[in-house]
Amino acid sequence: MGSQKRIAKELSELVESPPEGIIVELADEANLYKWKVFMEGPEGSPYQGGKFIVNLTLPTEYPFKPPTVSFGTKIYHPNVTNDEKGSMCLGMLRADEWKPSSKIAAVLQFARQLLQEPMPDDAIEGRIAEQYKNDRKRYDEIAKEWTRKWAVSE
Amino acid sequence: MPPRTSGWTEAGAPGYSHRSYRSPDGRFTFSTTTIGGSYSSRHEGQLDQLPAVMQSIGALFQGLSGTYDHHQTQRGPGMEMPPHSHAAGMREPDVMHDRFQAHHERARRHEEYFFRDPDGPQHMESPGPNLVDFLEALRGNPRIATREGAANPFAMLSALMNVDRNGDAVYSQEELDRVISQLIDHTQQGTAPPPATDTAIRSLPTKKMTREMMGSDGTAECSICMDPVELNTEVTVLPCTHWFHFDCIKAWLNQHNTCPHCRRSIDATGVTSPGEGTSENPVIIPDSPESSSSPRLRRRSSPITSRSIRSARSSMSRSSRTSPSPEMGESGTRRGSSGESSRGGITGWVWSRFGGGSS
Repeated sequence: MGSQKRIAKELSELVESPPEGIIVELADEANLYKWKVFMEGPEGSPYQGGKFIVNLTLPTEYPFKPPTVSFGTKIYHPNVTNDEKGSMCLGMLRADEWKPSSKIAAVLQFARQLLQEPMPDDAIEGRIAEQYKNDRKRYDEIAKEWTRKWAVSE
Repeated sequence: MPPRTSGWTEAGAPGYSHRSYRSPDGRFTFSTTTIGGSYSSRHEGQLDQLPAVMQSIGALFQGLSGTYDHHQTQRGPGMEMPPHSHAAGMREPDVMHDRFQAHHERARRHEEYFFRDPDGPQHMESPGPNLVDFLEALRGNPRIATREGAANPFAMLSALMNVDRNGDAVYSQEELDRVISQLIDHTQQGTAPPPATDTAIRSLPTKKMTREMMGSDGTAECSICMDPVELNTEVTVLPCTHWFHFDCIKAWLNQHNTCPHCRRSIDATGVTSPGEGTSENPVIIPDSPESSSSPRLRRRSSPITSRSIRSARSSMSRSSRTSPSPEMGESGTRRGSSGESSRGGITGWVWSRFGGGSS
């Protein structure tokens, strides 16, 4: 499969020179299509200090179909579903917006950027988006609290 | 004569039978009409067994109708049932539990064409309005957000019938969105461009890699397989001048007829790009919109062709939605506003499906 070659290449690139705040590994050494990503909450965001587990799943049709990204760590964010799935809604990951020339590194950087700067108008959690727009202070508080509660291991 | 009766009423005529059921509180009713056969005369004995089944269904529907709060429908004048029909229905009007009574009679001539019990509520709020609400919601109408009650019957029905919410029955905006997203993912349709034809793919020009096509560091890679491409390797060039391995681009074009890098259609031969992409090749991926530092700077301008307008619309919608829209309800942030330029994502998909789109 051509996709495996590309995936392996992207993986080794990411392992060799990881983008800021992002560490990747395979969830299962025998399966190239399931990645486990450790994402640090960006500085200056309410997620700072937290380490979030992000599960990245690649379809067998990759790169012709987009990867899916979900948070394994609970996170309070307008663009991440507040359920056990923790699905992330990224425009570039929608099937009709995906481009095969997008790299996984770009996807992960975009996801991290989204922690820094949520997109409430493209939100999946409407309530959190409203709060983000209208009551930023409270949003920050809850997001921090959740980060402390779920994303900090001590 | 009390206006409300409950239980079964039945009307029959040769070749025709009409049965209707109405719950004791009068808030729910349903009826069946059978045309053909001699049902009413043959069936009398079996009707005793039917109520046991119908009773449980009746209870279920009564529970559902309990969530409606506005079913005190009035009967209009001139809608009286024949007196003997009333008598059947009201034999024990005070009994709390449903009583099912079979009653056969010869209906008046004009009633043979009734498909509804004229004694019952005339127009109950059927699921129709809910469907309308759903569609309205899809169009960005925030009214749905305030009508929690409207969705409840589906929730109850779903729970009672043990239907998983990932199945066909959904009862919240978010679930609906999720189902639609899944559909889009599964079908690979929506606003995604259609596949290119084989002829179009085969007629694409090829070219041997030249120095100018290599990146500034003298290397290049096919942005689909990410394999390095050496000088003089034969590559396939799209009208937008982006190039790829033939096998790689073929696999993509079999799904979508656009450049996987800049999304220009490969059919747009008339108007070609004078500027963008000429000195650019896919090796410059760090400059691609995805990896730019701001998630909102998603696309560079490109020459106007009919296809690029369409593809640009979906990207524009995302950025135009960054301004808060007064229309957005609490749960409506994914809907976008209803402006023409805002029909991206789910909304755009629905619009394009249901006739509002440009495709």
